[in-house]
Amino acid sequence: MSISSRAVLLSLGAAGLLVVASAQAADAPVSAAQAANMAVNCFSCHGPEGRSPGSIPSLQQLTAVNIVALMKDFRSGKRPSTVMGRHAKGYTDAEVEALAGYIAGLKK
Amino acid sequence: MSNFSRRSFIKIAGAAGAATALGSLAYAPRARAAGGHVVVIGGGFGGASCAKYLRRADSGIKVTLIEKQKEFITCPFSNLVLGGLKQMDDITHKFDTLQKKYGVDVVHDTVTEIDPAGKSVKLKSGKSIKYDRLVVSPGISLKWGSIEGYDEKAAEIMPHAWKAGAQTVLLRKQLEAMKDGGVVVMASPPNPFRCPPGPYERASMIAHYLKKHKPKSKILILDAKDKFSKQGLFQAGWQQHYPGMIEWVAGAKGGVVKAVDTKKMIVDALDKHKADVANVIPAQAAGKIAIKAGLADDKGWCPVDPKTFESQKHPGIHVIGDASIAGAMPKSGFAASSQGKICAAAIVAMMRGKTIADVSYVNTCYSIVAPKHGISVAAVYRVTDKGIVAVQGAGGVSPADAPAAFREEEYKYTYGWYDSITADIWG
Repeated sequence: MSISSRAVLLSLGAAGLLVVASAQAADAPVSAAQAANMAVNCFSCHGPEGRSPGSIPSLQQLTAVNIVALMKDFRSGKRPSTVMGRHAKGYTDAEVEALAGYIAGLKK
Repeated sequence: MSNFSRRSFIKIAGAAGAATALGSLAYAPRARAAGGHVVVIGGGFGGASCAKYLRRADSGIKVTLIEKQKEFITCPFSNLVLGGLKQMDDITHKFDTLQKKYGVDVVHDTVTEIDPAGKSVKLKSGKSIKYDRLVVSPGISLKWGSIEGYDEKAAEIMPHAWKAGAQTVLLRKQLEAMKDGGVVVMASPPNPFRCPPGPYERASMIAHYLKKHKPKSKILILDAKDKFSKQGLFQAGWQQHYPGMIEWVAGAKGGVVKAVDTKKMIVDALDKHKADVANVIPAQAAGKIAIKAGLADDKGWCPVDPKTFESQKHPGIHVIGDASIAGAMPKSGFAASSQGKICAAAIVAMMRGKTIADVSYVNTCYSIVAPKHGISVAAVYRVTDKGIVAVQGAGGVSPADAPAAFREEEYKYTYGWYDSITADIWG
């Protein structure tokens, strides 16, 4: 990994984006580029830049805190879902926080 | 650049963490741009995604997309056209947004030759185009002759409809012309092939049409395989919606199709089956240009680096989508799009001389069994020393015992997925 988690915060900050303070959780740190590599996959169902044109919820109005909470609840099953539980189980806490920061920082 | 403002570029480039010197990014993004020219062959789920995401990450990169068709017709949802739930127009997409909003140069032509040493491609029109990096996303080619008597001419009588377009229309017309009480024989291909749940969603959609219009008809699926994607969910759905209408024959039980006779309309497996309509999906390999350029192995698929999709045969060339060997990932439009995006990020990093970031891929394949009855399979993928593997404990298929409301929600999300992914790729 070329970019430290400190650089994630810096680069997100540099672009004027919302920064998730807890991005340096227990799991392996996640670089900004790695967060982007995870988050762009979300657009295939949730629409370009998280703006859904159809029946799947948009991500645009969600804050990073919202996204982290939703993903953790999907993962634990606390919040019922069709497919999101199956996806959420694929990410560590640190990854969830990093991709939430990326999505929340997209142009509204 | 038109709609893509400098301001939004700054945000996106930063957000993509596209490995730019942080301090200077906001002041001189273009000076930090990688430059260079990427040529992308194929405007489908893989190629069009890659072209868009290259420009999204770095507007300093010139991207030329070479696609034969003026409009792209998706294989996803082509089964819904067969079932009468969608029309051809609904699955046809233009390249305007890629050109106007993202500044991709779209060239409607066919690549006839790739010169890896000279870093150029030759087009049917006679023109040559130089590249710094090449992305090859040609989809599949059909292995004519893998079933005796089945070639391009035979496909005009027994359509494969495994590339959406005229073949889809032909199969739909044949179903419309068939008498009630007719038999539709489907030949399902051996692994690996494009869209693993596709033949079974197709059987479902044909059954939906027949149940409504020709209820005495039957569908016989002759399979080269002994099991298939989402099998339990499909078979339970068939029992529920189309009892007695669909018969599936496993390869080991006589399902392997050896030959066809288009004059007598016979599909020849262990037994000879007379068909009123025959949908023959033959074995597949990487798209022709990938094979011609020496990008494929002896089985006809292209080995690539799992993090960058750079060819293991020719450095400087990336192969994405159905044509590539992508470990645990299926040959799906979703997977191709995911690969296209990650490949774009890798190319941007390579052109800037930066380290490639860790990657994550996703696939979600929805299938429609009947109206208000959708099912899915999903996975998140990472790269380990074993290549691209699915994250353990994540993903999987829809639950077998889900209530009707769950199936209905997944049906609704199937349409939502299509709306989103096509908007994400072709705008």
